Amino acid sequence: MARRIAIVEDEAAIRDNYTAAFRREGYAVDAYGARKPALDAFASRLPDLVVIDVNLKDDVEGGFELCRELRARSPELPIIFLTARDSEFDAVSGLRLGADDYLTKDISLPHLMARVAALFRRLDALRDPQSAGNRLTRGDLEIDTERMMISWQGRPVGLTLTEFWLVHAMARYPGHVKNRQQLMDAAQAVLDDNTITSHVKRIRRKFLAIDPGFDAIETVYGMGYRWLAA
Amino acid sequence: MSLKNQLLLVSLLALLLPWAGCQFVRETESALRASQQQMLAGTARAIADSLSQYPEAFPPRPVAADAEGVVAEQLYAHALESSPVIDGYLEDWPLGESSLRALEANGVRARFALGQRGSYYYLFVAVADDTVTWATPASVAPGDSPPYADRVSLATVTPPYAPERISFAAEAPGAVVPYVENAFGFAADRPREAEPEMTIRAVWQDVPGGYQLEARIPRARLGSHLGLTVDDAAGPQSPGARAATFTAPRPPPLAGHREELATVAASLLQPGLRLVVTDAAGWRIAAAGSLDSAAGARPGGVSRWLRFAYDAVVEDGTPTDFAEPDPTGREQQAYVTAALTGEPGSNWFRSLEGEQAIVAVSQPVARGDDVLGVVILQQGTDAILSLTNRGLVRLLNLTLLAMLLVAGGLLGYATWLSRRIRRLSVAAAGAADERRLATALPSAGAGDEIGDLSRSFSSVLAQLGSYNDYLRTLASKLSHELRTPLAIVTSSLENLEQEALDATARSYTARARDGAERLRRILAAMSEANRVEELMSHVETEPFPLDAAVRSAVGGYRDVYPERHFELAVTPGPGCIVHGAPELAIQMLDKLVENAVSFSRAGDTIGIDVARDGAAVRLDVRNPGPPLPTDMHGRLFDSLVSVRPRDDGTHLGLGLYVARLIATGHNGRIEARDIDGGVVFSVWLPAAEARDGNGDGKPRDGGPGRRRAGGARGRTGG
Repeated sequence: MARRIAIVEDEAAIRDNYTAAFRREGYAVDAYGARKPALDAFASRLPDLVVIDVNLKDDVEGGFELCRELRARSPELPIIFLTARDSEFDAVSGLRLGADDYLTKDISLPHLMARVAALFRRLDALRDPQSAGNRLTRGDLEIDTERMMISWQGRPVGLTLTEFWLVHAMARYPGHVKNRQQLMDAAQAVLDDNTITSHVKRIRRKFLAIDPGFDAIETVYGMGYRWLAA
Repeated sequence: MSLKNQLLLVSLLALLLPWAGCQFVRETESALRASQQQMLAGTARAIADSLSQYPEAFPPRPVAADAEGVVAEQLYAHALESSPVIDGYLEDWPLGESSLRALEANGVRARFALGQRGSYYYLFVAVADDTVTWATPASVAPGDSPPYADRVSLATVTPPYAPERISFAAEAPGAVVPYVENAFGFAADRPREAEPEMTIRAVWQDVPGGYQLEARIPRARLGSHLGLTVDDAAGPQSPGARAATFTAPRPPPLAGHREELATVAASLLQPGLRLVVTDAAGWRIAAAGSLDSAAGARPGGVSRWLRFAYDAVVEDGTPTDFAEPDPTGREQQAYVTAALTGEPGSNWFRSLEGEQAIVAVSQPVARGDDVLGVVILQQGTDAILSLTNRGLVRLLNLTLLAMLLVAGGLLGYATWLSRRIRRLSVAAAGAADERRLATALPSAGAGDEIGDLSRSFSSVLAQLGSYNDYLRTLASKLSHELRTPLAIVTSSLENLEQEALDATARSYTARARDGAERLRRILAAMSEANRVEELMSHVETEPFPLDAAVRSAVGGYRDVYPERHFELAVTPGPGCIVHGAPELAIQMLDKLVENAVSFSRAGDTIGIDVARDGAAVRLDVRNPGPPLPTDMHGRLFDSLVSVRPRDDGTHLGLGLYVARLIATGHNGRIEARDIDGGVVFSVWLPAAEARDGNGDGKPRDGGPGRRRAGGARGRTGG
């Protein structure tokens, strides 16, 4: 049975384009232009993944509201914000509400497809506790590439999909400097310098929350970042 | 010229007050003096009228073709107040040296004076003569044939009688016996008679450079006309040169005091007045009375500054010295000569000390149309009559005080005013420079024009501020609004590419994708500034070594811009540790380097310096290239300002704006200036003190030491 993706997007052209793209990939797609009809539909049945625009016509923060309500109903449901609002503040707000990813509309369709596929993959892996997963260990760092889970000193670090890929790209070859382009490719996103800086900062903060002595990510000015082997 | 100086200059107008006071004083003074002169003139007229009853007392006016020439040749017998001793010296004469008259002709130089007292005339002659030719017994009597001798002669005549010559020649210094001779042409046919004249007492003194002769002659011995000749013989056989006071065959009339006139005049005179009567030629023929000298001695006197003020206020008079009777015996002051022509005259004299003044009037003594002589009347008085008036002194003091108050007040007011304006202008300039456009300006609450100015400044600044805000947010707003349509375009293209397209259509979609990608990049650049601003607002600063960060970044630039050389000069050490966000600092450097690269050419060298500069660390980025446009100074770092020629479509002028955002966000500053053959951009970031270096540095980034090491590794490994 095809997975069901819900798109809540006020801009009809984009909605239709995304709908077409997802259908081409074989997903079942429900598209909604506003919060109300989406909520009504979700009341009877939750989709497998939701793509939400933050700004829903006159409902300026409607996407955030929707996310909160969905997250309240299902802690597992993958939620992706896809929005024109690129400010750091909005991104932090969205992720704090429990979204799995916060993407700007710059993202290309193939990248979006890749992310959606990855999220489903993670969902599957999480639902199948038997699978051993594909693990990568770098000192205190443990990466489960199947579940897209990362743990530090045995404790899980809650990373978004983008963050996971960034850490994964850096930690795969410790000591190698990953420049911004490489990190962008790994994260399947088009990000500018400041966004990458913000992402790295957020990643560091999440690790520091677990281990105040964390200093494995090093900034190499003018070049990029690298994972320091312990 | 500053407002203060301008108002100070205007306050000089207050000087008009004392000036007007002075004018008033001067007018009063002149009026008082004029009335005194008028009074005096009345007295003088009365005296002149009385004297005109005695025409015979006045000597007749010389009648000659050249009247003035004749007058000049006239001798004048001064009235002597005491009898000189006849000893050949002038010292005991009651006359000064200035009363001596010069006689110079044909190389003979002599000075002489004539006086009268009682029944005697007195003569003094001083002749300059290096070689005195003494008389011999043969030449002691006068003669126009050899042997000759140095000789002083008096020519005297009472027309129509024959003239006589009284001649003095000495055989040796000492008493001289003159000889009388009548030899002036009237009786040329008569034999010469030269006889010793024993009634005349004379002494000849030999002095250095010449000789002096003093003689006492009974008045009866001389006639009404008198002349003087001096013979300087070159030797007994040579007649030498002669100088004479007269040129005509007959000497001119003798001028001198008329006792009878003086007696009459004295009887007409009030005390405190001085009267001088002259004949028609101006010779003083009578004098009486004296000035009241006590008038000048005012008790206490006046203070020095007041005196100074008076001197400035009151018009200058002729110095009092000129009021004294002329030492030569002939009154030649302008007011006297005016009276000689029949016009009454007046003058006033002021002593240099200011203590005394003399008012003088002259009145012709006329009989019919004939001017017989002139009456000169003088009166001494307080220097400045009106100044004795205490009220006037108070007036002067008050006006001076008022002027000082006005000037002081205006000066204070101007200072206050100009300080307000200066504060306003400084505040306005500061607000405009530092983009603090919402701050309240000084004097905004004032109700005067400066308040208006301040308020209109504020409103202009507010407009400027909102315009600046608009410009600043324009880019991010625009990029935000354009992002959705761009997403429509790109997602549509991406969907389209999934369809079955032929090669031509695919090339079109590829081009459209390229265009959309460029558009995306532009939008990203436009929103970058906004993002940086956002980051700056909650940036986490930490001490980090700027030199190491820059060193590491330059390693990256060498890879990114292989066509440029990078020259890095850092002063390593703890001095280059700054407080800030290293990522942002490097982003700023990125922008500056990007800018430097775009203005230089392939093969150029871009210099990057990091050095401690006072309390800040300076980061310089130098590049060869065109100089900064002069009209863009100050706006170079503004949003959407680009000085680039428009051949590069994607440049929006946001790079330097971002650089400034980061610099100012770090409490630093950024500047651009021309250097020889290029441009340098300098950023000053506040230095962290060395204590932040190790101990309390946060461990997560490994501290500065780790960073430096990492930077070095990054450079080699990049």
